[in-house]
Amino acid sequence: MTGVVRQISLDEWDRQYESLQRAGARRPGYVGPLGRHVQDGDRGLVRLRFDNSPAALRLWNFLLTEEDRLRQARTEGKKIVGAMKDLGTVPVMAYSLDNVVAFYPDGAWWIPCVMELSAGLLGIADSLGIDESFCPVRAMLGAFVTEAHFPIPDLLSCSVGATCDDFSAIAQRLNGLGYPIFWWEIPHRRSPEPGETAIELPGGFVAPQSQIEFVKSELQRVAAALEELAGQSLDEAKLAVGIERANQVRDCLAELRLLAFTAEVCPIPALEMLIAEMLTIHFCSDQNESLAVLQELLEEVKSRVAAGVGLLGPDAARIFWVNPVADLQVMNLLEECGARICGTEYLFSHALDKIPEDVPPLEALAQTALADPMVGSAADRARRICADIRRFGAEAVLVSRIPGASHCALEGEVIRQVVADELDIAVLEIEVPPLTDSMCPALMTRLQALVETVRERRKK
Amino acid sequence: MGKIVYTCPYVPAEWVAAHGLVPSRVMVRTAGTSPAVGPKEGVCPYVRGFVDEVMSRNDVSGIVMTTVCDQMRRAFDIVVGRSKLPAFLMNVPNTWRSVAAQRLYVDELRRLSRFLVGLGGSAVSNGELAKVMLDYDTARSSLLAKRELMSGRQFAEMVAAFNMDGPGAVSANVAGCSAAPRGVPLAAVGGPMMAEDLDMFDVIEESGGRIVLDATESGERGICQRFDRRSIGDDPVTELAEAYFGGIQDASRRPNSGLYQWLKQHFEERGVRGVVLHRYVWCDMWHAELARLREWTDLPVLDVGVTGDCEADKHRAANQIGAFLEMLQ
Ligand code: SF4
Ligand code: SF4
Repeated sequence: MTGVVRQISLDEWDRQYESLQRAGARRPGYVGPLGRHVQDGDRGLVRLRFDNSPAALRLWNFLLTEEDRLRQARTEGKKIVGAMKDLGTVPVMAYSLDNVVAFYPDGAWWIPCVMELSAGLLGIADSLGIDESFCPVRAMLGAFVTEAHFPIPDLLSCSVGATCDDFSAIAQRLNGLGYPIFWWEIPHRRSPEPGETAIELPGGFVAPQSQIEFVKSELQRVAAALEELAGQSLDEAKLAVGIERANQVRDCLAELRLLAFTAEVCPIPALEMLIAEMLTIHFCSDQNESLAVLQELLEEVKSRVAAGVGLLGPDAARIFWVNPVADLQVMNLLEECGARICGTEYLFSHALDKIPEDVPPLEALAQTALADPMVGSAADRARRICADIRRFGAEAVLVSRIPGASHCALEGEVIRQVVADELDIAVLEIEVPPLTDSMCPALMTRLQALVETVRERRKK
Repeated sequence: MGKIVYTCPYVPAEWVAAHGLVPSRVMVRTAGTSPAVGPKEGVCPYVRGFVDEVMSRNDVSGIVMTTVCDQMRRAFDIVVGRSKLPAFLMNVPNTWRSVAAQRLYVDELRRLSRFLVGLGGSAVSNGELAKVMLDYDTARSSLLAKRELMSGRQFAEMVAAFNMDGPGAVSANVAGCSAAPRGVPLAAVGGPMMAEDLDMFDVIEESGGRIVLDATESGERGICQRFDRRSIGDDPVTELAEAYFGGIQDASRRPNSGLYQWLKQHFEERGVRGVVLHRYVWCDMWHAELARLREWTDLPVLDVGVTGDCEADKHRAANQIGAFLEMLQ
């Protein structure tokens, strides 16, 4: 375990890295000083504060070297799938094949933050008619045009239907620019009607069997496209093994989340937990290694919890965080204000839930896809948030609005209402653009007010 | 008889009418102001207006909304949460090329049928459905046949009357049309228009233009394709689905290549010389099409972004349209 648990700057990490090297620590090849990523253009990293464990160093390096792995995969003759929007389902299928890797072009969301806008991706999106009235995922368009952030996939899939208008419109724009897209439909999840067979999905939502059958048929089409790409069959046996492997990653993360969110003292910062959650979506282009990275992080957290050490004191305000932030620095602000994360819903809870292993694989994946909190009603999503708040003992909810996102304007009020009705805890809504530097003082004030509210309520 | 209100063109009026209920596809009058929809920023003015309108009416038995766009899908939550009226959310797939998507649309019609029966509608028979479809088809044909004799506003209002009140509204009004304005032939393209937005057509005509193609959702583009009258007798449900789900081309479809084919054919047929894109701010679907439309066509494209602030919108649009037509004349 790391000695004193702290959040350190990038410079401090680089110095610490040298000491680790001198001490002869053996690390995977992709692990190096974080400073090298800044030289490669990830200038936004200098604004962040990082957990000081070697496990966190490995996590960050793993995240920041994904492009290298994708290019390496192409060199090795593997096929690359750009899965778009479904967040968590298509990659499980793709990694069931031994000559395919999958990633989410959606991840370009964070490039403007990590590169401090220097990559010019938002400017390219602007020039293509996709301006700041769209969600920051528009950076993806620029990433395709420049070809500088990921290799152009051999197959692009995109789920549409009950998805956000932002992504659907941007993907269509991409298609109009000449990138072929395999579209598949994810319907709005609805409640079963009288007489319909109701199925409980991973995570607790319920859907009628007929919708699961429909999604299964859509995933069959996806499977056929993957088979054609890979030149090999994607049969039930392969999918079952793929699901088992994905579940190992999800199980590991579930244990990590439970410990991180419920330990008396916060054992790991919010930012590293956000990155850890992101790994389960597509395994950062290496499924085995993503498991190893999470396992090391879990061991670190376990030992911290056992020793009763961590960040902040036991009185830190316990916050449930809704929606990912376009500027990662905001996760650091939370701790600076005396709060910690006790539960999250970053739009992809379905990618964290265990995929059922007791039903045929495509049916299991259909259930997983339909469990997406964003394909159902905002009230459903809010109720899941309430259930997780109870489970993790959060004392307030922070909804971070995503600028331009079609769902944010309408769902915030619904979430606030359901949380108020069910739990009577404070809800704060903030908006987080890709670069918040000039807004930091105002954001801090609002976060501090939330922390104060939590403390006041404790006195009652 | 109970009135069923909706605004999405993919909801077939014939299906509602065949249940013995009154379909009423509303043309939203004005951008809503109700705080129920949350902050103004980020919400499509049309969605806001629709929510306000249906929640303030007391002559309605049920509301039907669809999943065609995310904002409407989410507005359904608000309607359900704030209104006691029975409401139904119909899954209309964005994809359309797979048999499964087409089947899903038909399954959703059947689910809608159960909702309508629950509101007191009668079970649908093929015979009744076929009869209603023929009535509607005839009315639509006579409306479209008179299009050339109408101004942009007259045509849009006639379509709105037909959508709201059914075939009777067409026969009563079509007879009076006789003189269409002259001017530079333009196409209006975009999502739905609110009644207050129709001023744009007047401004176009006053500035020397003429709408020869109303390709907005509340115009010709939002009208289903003509039925194959032979198929109506055999399998009216399939024919209905084909005419609506297969026949209405929209920006929201994935892919939306069908929209561009439809536009190409109509631009050529009508000799269109310029395009006015009417879109609401915060409508991602149509906003994203602006740049594509400009790349795709050689015709000049004018972007009219509507915020829902009627006076300011009108003023801005008048200036833009005046300059646009000056360039085209
Ligand atoms: S952040 Fe929201 S609006 Fe943006 S792509 Fe994700 S779901 Fe869509
Ligand atoms: S105008 Fe756009 S956002 Fe508004 S209802 Fe239509 S598709 Fe949805």
